[in-house]
Amino acid sequence: MENSTQESNLRSEICVTYDSPYPIYAMAVTNAAASPHLRRIAVGSFIEEFNNRVDILSFDHDALSLKPTPSLSFDHPYPPTKLMFHPTPSASTSTATSAGNLLASSGDCLRLWELRDTSIEPISVFNNSKTSEFCAPLTSFDWNEVEPRRIGTSSIDTTCTIWDIEKGVVETQLIAHDKEVYDIAWGEAGVFASVSADGSVRIFDLRDKEHSTIIYESPQPDTPLLRLAWNKQDLRYMATILMDSNKIVILDIRSPTMPVAELERHQASVNAIAWAPQSCRHICSAGDDGQALLWELPTVAGPNGIDPISMYTAGAEINQLQWSAAQSDWISIAFANKLQLLKV
Amino acid sequence: MVSTPVGVRKGAWTEDEDNLLRKCIDKYGEGKWHQVPLRAGLNRCRKSCRLRWLNYLRPNIKRGDFTPDEDDLIIRLHKLLGNRWSLISGRLPGRTANDVKNHWNTHLQKKVLAREGGRSKSQKTTILKPRPRTFKRIAPFSCRDKTTYEPNISITDQNSDNPSASSSKQVDDECTQWWSNLLDSVEIDGETEPGSNGISLELQEEDNDWNDFSLDMDILKLLSSENSMIN
Repeated sequence: MENSTQESNLRSEICVTYDSPYPIYAMAVTNAAASPHLRRIAVGSFIEEFNNRVDILSFDHDALSLKPTPSLSFDHPYPPTKLMFHPTPSASTSTATSAGNLLASSGDCLRLWELRDTSIEPISVFNNSKTSEFCAPLTSFDWNEVEPRRIGTSSIDTTCTIWDIEKGVVETQLIAHDKEVYDIAWGEAGVFASVSADGSVRIFDLRDKEHSTIIYESPQPDTPLLRLAWNKQDLRYMATILMDSNKIVILDIRSPTMPVAELERHQASVNAIAWAPQSCRHICSAGDDGQALLWELPTVAGPNGIDPISMYTAGAEINQLQWSAAQSDWISIAFANKLQLLKV
Repeated sequence: MVSTPVGVRKGAWTEDEDNLLRKCIDKYGEGKWHQVPLRAGLNRCRKSCRLRWLNYLRPNIKRGDFTPDEDDLIIRLHKLLGNRWSLISGRLPGRTANDVKNHWNTHLQKKVLAREGGRSKSQKTTILKPRPRTFKRIAPFSCRDKTTYEPNISITDQNSDNPSASSSKQVDDECTQWWSNLLDSVEIDGETEPGSNGISLELQEEDNDWNDFSLDMDILKLLSSENSMIN
């Protein structure tokens, strides 16, 4: 771990780096207010084998350092495709079962882990397959902030499964798309959206499971949509990225099929997007060109499209981007073996 | 020797019949089953001839019991695919779908049932498939920003100059209704599919923050040139 200040194209930023012994992909920042100056970040490895690891790092705001906590590191079967802490931890953090210390991971199935002071315990494994041998791998999941007992998972078997994690049962399983579902995002307590290899963004409402609504389809048919981000500050807007495309498509659910904006300033395909947790107009994106771009969406776009307000160049293709509400002035990116926190 | 369909033989195939059929296939090839009974001189239904050939007389059919490997594969495939015998037999070279099905029903099914009964049954979750609603695409020469460019064109038949305020209002209401219901936790019942009655969606005229997004100028130039071409 090291502190470093790096020059980027537009401005120099403060960034904190953690060097991992293996390539990393999944990242999560805790929302627990255990100690405002000591945030925990979970980092999942990306080794193409069965044995993978998840490390828990502590980020010290004052010292600007990222330190791994070796006692809180655990094995994970297959690379975790996504990690997420409990979105709304309870105020009291003294009891062992406080919700602030729950970490969920998706991979071959959904798992819940509890962070205790000196160790991490697996709590449950959520496996929906009727036979215990085969479970369709999960591409992503989302933890409902309004209803924290709901987690929605997306899988390559074209279904999305909504779990009630307190009861440990499946609430609903929906065949969401015609092809593999790549990402899922909650909008409200009972509303979620998903994107898929069939190129459509569909919104589902758990009150009306008979119908879904397609609000966008990729212009070239069957171009997969890889990621979806729902703006939690302004639920009308969503962002999605197409496979092998350098564009970020901003959608307004009030005006389906037509994107509200297309942000096209990356020089290679975009890998991750994240809305700003504190502002409804800002979005950050990162891609294979090694750049993380910060955009502000204007009311009226200029003639040549929208330009980013800020740019950061990392040394390698950036694979992951997380912007947590708990740390709204730090953006975390992952590239190669490194995790970096960039100050906004 | 023409036999009427009523008088065809049923029941087990004799060796002579098998030989006749084989010779006919060797001579004429596999297709045109409706001519086979005639050409072979068989008093059998053409369907029967075909099935006999495919399931029994074909040269590369494996005889004999199923090997344990094959049994294992069948069990796995059946778990995955269900009763789709043609798909399962596709993975077992030399075995016909019929053979696989018979073997399953006589031997393997009992084994699998015995195994499943011991395990605790996981709860049954019904998998639902929501039917997707789509919105009709706005006509290609529509623009986002009404104030600056030519107003939207609806698919019905309005021309580019003046969209009637009433139709845009009506469509506005439909759009608003859909997403506001979605986001405001209001009970939705009997919602008709927006866009299904041929009205396209148009831009809403609200005064919200960043509502009036415009596309890139290049795209809009292209669109308005299309517009002028069509007019």
